[in-house]
Order: sequence, then structure tokens, then C-alpha cells
Amino acid sequence: MKRFFALPAMAVLLFAGPPASAKPIAFQNGWTAMAEYGAGTMSEAQTYYAPKFWYSIGAGQLRIDAEDGRFSRDISYVRTNALLKRWNLPKAQANIFAFGGLGRATGSDFSGAETVGQAGLQADYETLRFYSSAKSEIHHATAFTHRIDTLQLGFAPYAHRYDGVATWIVAQGRTYTGGIYDGVEAALLLRLFAARSWGSVWFEAGPTLDGKLQAMTMFNF
Amino acid sequence: MLKTLVALTLALISTFAAAQANQSITMKVDGLVCAFCAQGIEKKLKGFAATDGVYVDLEHGLVAMGLKPAQDVPDAELTSTLTDAGYTVKAISRSVEPLAAIKQAHSK
Repeated sequence: MKRFFALPAMAVLLFAGPPASAKPIAFQNGWTAMAEYGAGTMSEAQTYYAPKFWYSIGAGQLRIDAEDGRFSRDISYVRTNALLKRWNLPKAQANIFAFGGLGRATGSDFSGAETVGQAGLQADYETLRFYSSAKSEIHHATAFTHRIDTLQLGFAPYAHRYDGVATWIVAQGRTYTGGIYDGVEAALLLRLFAARSWGSVWFEAGPTLDGKLQAMTMFNF
Repeated sequence: MLKTLVALTLALISTFAAAQANQSITMKVDGLVCAFCAQGIEKKLKGFAATDGVYVDLEHGLVAMGLKPAQDVPDAELTSTLTDAGYTVKAISRSVEPLAAIKQAHSK
């Protein structure tokens, strides 16, 4: 029932306009490294290099653990991210990214290693005080198909300065298909980030409604 | 006598011009809403030999860079640099104000 309402809401926010989350592209000649612990359901580490500001290439490792313990999957992949469209506005920025990749998957619910393809879309919109992001990604192999949809909405109690520390309160909703998790995995996150001359650091963490930890860290350099 | 007067005049003009030389460039930039993402701008601008410091003001969508004495960066290169960083340059202006003064004025 919860999913009945949650997924259309995500779709509306995704396609009605802009959203931003951890962007898979830093800047031209920049590196991005990300690691996420998703409430025990998913864990992911990624690293990307951006030859241009509109695309990046890299690799990642994704671990999926079904909520009921029926299966787990490990996916190693290479991936390309592309900035399809960016709107630079006087007081806001919006982006649409697409990504796709190939990898190898092993799992407790199938034997051997399988080739897995992945594809996704991410859209974001942000100002200095408001933030929204929607992301949908699908992984497909002969033995399984699952999709992960993530929506984030956030606000900043103050407009951060370039040389200061940004603070955001972010509500996150995530759904999984393929029997990974039933319903919406919701979390309330505290996000902090700062830019320094050697690079940028991002950290966010908070509890899910199930009382589990949702956390993500990212570095641009 | 005439030669001396001309030389003196040229020296005065040269001194005045040096004193009035541009010390900073200010760029109005659209899309500047996140320090985490705008860090690429600072890195790129610091790559110019003429750069003597960079200041980013997110609230006013402004990027300023200090210039080393008697140096400059063409507008086309600045625009190209910020475009490659993923942003849109709306205006570029030069000033005799040093970067520190611009920073102080916008820090209030």
C-alpha cells in the first residue's frame, strides 16, 4: 500500500522537474569517490574520473541483501555517467544525468557469475536552501532483475558560504523491486559538506524508520 | 628641455597607469549554488599563471580572481574555463580593487 503512493510521487517529482543528489560527475579532470551504506539493504562504493564536465567513467561495487535474508548479490561493474542537460539559473541549478554499465554478478540465489547490465536516470534541482533529487537504476542479468528508486528532498537552515560548511536536513525514500525490500525504506539524514583547496568532502547519515543506519560519504578532488 | 619634459610626462603617465592597473576580475555566474560542486571553478582558475587568489560568493553568484601585477586573462579563456567547469558566465568585469577588498565587501 505504501508503495502505491510512493512510486507515483517519485515519478511526478522525477519527470515534473529537476531534482540533485550526489552527482556522478565532479568537474573536468576531477575525481569522485563515493561510498554508501544503505540500511543493510544495499552497500555501494564507486569511483569516477571526468575527462569533461559532462561525462565520467569509473567502476563500482554493489552489495544487495534482501530484507528477509532470502538472498544476497554482489555486483562489480564499470559505468559511464553522462550529463544530458543542465540548467544554470541565477539562483538555482538543475541537471539530468543518465548512466549505464556492465558488470559481473554473483549471488546466493543463483550459481556461478553472471553478466549484468545496468542503466539509470538521475535528476536534481537545488538552490542554496532547497534540494531535491530523484534517481532510478535498474540491474538486469539472466538470473535476476531489480530496480532501485531513490527520492531525496532537503532544506538548509542557512545558505552556506563557499568556504564554510553546508548543513542540510534531507528526507530520503527508497524502494526496491525484485523481492529485495517491501515498501518504502525511509530515512531522515543530516548532510554536511565543505569545499577546501585540496578537494570537497561530503558526509550524510541518519536513521531509517526501521532504526537502521543510512550513510553516504563522497569526495571530489 | 623639451626632451626632459616629455620624459617626465611619460614617466608620470606610466606611474599613473601602473597604479590604476586592474588587480582583479569579477565574473557573474549562473548555477552557482553548491560549494561542493563549485570547487572545480577554483581549481581551474588557479591554473592561470596570472591568478593571485580566487573568491567564490555563492549567494551573489559571483566569482572573483586576483591578478598578479601587470597580468590578465582574456575573457574568452575565462568563459571557456567556467563553461568547462559546468557553469554559465553572464558577465565579466575588471577592477582596480584588490581581491581582498572584494572579498571583504561581500563578506559583510
